[in-house]
Amino acid sequence: MDSVNTIISTITIAKPWGIDIPNYFWFTGSSAAAFIISSFAHVFGWEKYKPIAGVSLLMAFVLLVAAPLNLIDDLRQPGRVLNFFMYGWENFPTSPMKWGVLLLMAYPILIFFEAQTLYRPYFVKQAKKGGLLSKLFTFGNMDVSKEALEKDHKKGYILGAIGIPLALAVHGYTGYIMGAVHANVMYHTPLMPIIFLASAMVSGTGLLIILIPLFQRFLSARKKVDRDMVATLARLLSWFIVSDLVMRFLWLTFSLTFGNGEKYALYSYFTLHFADTFWIDYVLCLFIPLIIGFTKLRNIPVVVYFGGIVTAVGVWIFRWNTVIGGETIPRTTPGYLNYAPPSFGQDSIVSVLSNWGILFALVCAVLLIFPWDEEMEDCYEGVENAK
Amino acid sequence: MEEKNSRRDFLKKGLSTTAFAMLATSQANAFSMKNPGRDARNPKYIGQVGKHFVMVLDLRKCIGCQACTSVCKVENEVPDDQFRTFVTETEIGEFPDVRKAFLPQLCNHCENPACVPVCPTGATFKREDGIVVVDNTVCWGCGYCINACPYDKRYFNKRTKTADKCNFCAQRVDKGLLPGCVETCIGGARVFGDINDKNSDVYKLLSNFSTTVLKEAEGTKPQVFYINLDSKVEELFSTTQSLDDIVKAEEGFQREWMKTREEAQSNG
Repeated sequence: MDSVNTIISTITIAKPWGIDIPNYFWFTGSSAAAFIISSFAHVFGWEKYKPIAGVSLLMAFVLLVAAPLNLIDDLRQPGRVLNFFMYGWENFPTSPMKWGVLLLMAYPILIFFEAQTLYRPYFVKQAKKGGLLSKLFTFGNMDVSKEALEKDHKKGYILGAIGIPLALAVHGYTGYIMGAVHANVMYHTPLMPIIFLASAMVSGTGLLIILIPLFQRFLSARKKVDRDMVATLARLLSWFIVSDLVMRFLWLTFSLTFGNGEKYALYSYFTLHFADTFWIDYVLCLFIPLIIGFTKLRNIPVVVYFGGIVTAVGVWIFRWNTVIGGETIPRTTPGYLNYAPPSFGQDSIVSVLSNWGILFALVCAVLLIFPWDEEMEDCYEGVENAK
Repeated sequence: MEEKNSRRDFLKKGLSTTAFAMLATSQANAFSMKNPGRDARNPKYIGQVGKHFVMVLDLRKCIGCQACTSVCKVENEVPDDQFRTFVTETEIGEFPDVRKAFLPQLCNHCENPACVPVCPTGATFKREDGIVVVDNTVCWGCGYCINACPYDKRYFNKRTKTADKCNFCAQRVDKGLLPGCVETCIGGARVFGDINDKNSDVYKLLSNFSTTVLKEAEGTKPQVFYINLDSKVEELFSTTQSLDDIVKAEEGFQREWMKTREEAQSNG
């Protein structure tokens, strides 16, 4: 019947979420992944990941401090942030956004305290040399006896153990926000939180693959990249890609084949965007890094760095395709809507770039304040001594 | 030592008293499960208790004149290029078997709205008379409700920078007037009233005619009912076909011109 129906005039309503939102999702996701990787050592006791656990934790922290700024920028009335805390609590059970803001506040505080516990002995060392800031970060506890360190270890373990579900929730809720929107055929799937978590693990690992060698090569005392670690992370990345692909396979095969009316819209969307989705998002940004991690290619750092970059970028594109792509699918207007982010102003390309600028500044700040280098060196020495 | 302790004591007590006082006052004045207007039982927020307002759109009478579209903009000071209501104009069939079909659209004031439960600030809510409204002094403009509405009937008001939508002209209804669009509808296609009142026009129309609602499958239970709604018109909502300007967007102007030329040639 389509061919004989024609819309002569109608009104197209503008959609609310712009470029800030995929960027925000990418930040929280990568933060959750970095936290989980740091917990491999702190909670699960996998010694292999010990040297990078501290830096991963710090990256999880800065990503999550920078992330909510995207949300504030996306608000049309950012001056009314307090209204969120004061009103509307009757919607708490049904508004995932309500949960999210609470998680967003609790999670960085927890990471900060975990990092403080981890680095306390190093802060004490520096404080004794007269470092004022280090003295502040010891929180007055200068005890470095065996018992005190044991206590720190236990505290770190507990914080890490609480942190894992919190990290999963802080990113999982973003998927929940999307999945809850039954009006949007792209968003509406109960798998969305899991899909988001799976792709978050991919982007976070990809980011660490880029950052950790950079820190080790240019900022640490060793001035040397741990090639074994790069290979380990590449393999880990491949496993995360497998889980991501499984989730996306389940989502797309069900909704495109066995879905209700929404399958036509989704089918049309993926047909229209087949080239960029398939070749860029899947082949370049997922399959190629997958192959790198599972083959001997993972022993060539440059190849792994390439894999890390494309996965991190690929997941950003996936976030974009889901959030923005979902909004372009017609609901009351025939045909797709168009969205191009403005260059300047709220919710623009410049605001996202500024957010990355803030992230960069925060990375510099934590690397300066926290004695990550010394801690990493001790871990490596510990491993070498054990050998 | 003693002096130090007493100073610390003083600070502790002072801080805890201040914190407690702040918490207590915020509990009393600001913190709310709903929002301040609803807590104060302000009639604007509560609505007309006991009534349930609905709208019936008799599509047999709509001629697509857009009088409703324009009066709504005036009455509600809707900014340029933004609309709370509008009439979609469609053409069904091919010449010579062709007809026009019109679909006036507005907020459906759903019984089970998708937009209200997701609002994190309690700015949007359903009044006791069924009208779904937005408190634009509370809304922080996150856009969650706009994405949640299956009917695309919410938008960010350019002037207030908050979510905005049709409110059945609650400001008029509360004074005993009809909504602007109903008042101005020259064909009498828009009928508004209290469905709990058995003498109301809406009650009679809903009792005597078969009516339907938009996107029933969404489960939102819309309270705007249509008489003579053609499913072919609603089909256009979700179609992704390339039509008119969409052809231009997807395939480019040139392709469209080429297509037209080819068609013209093949038709001789």
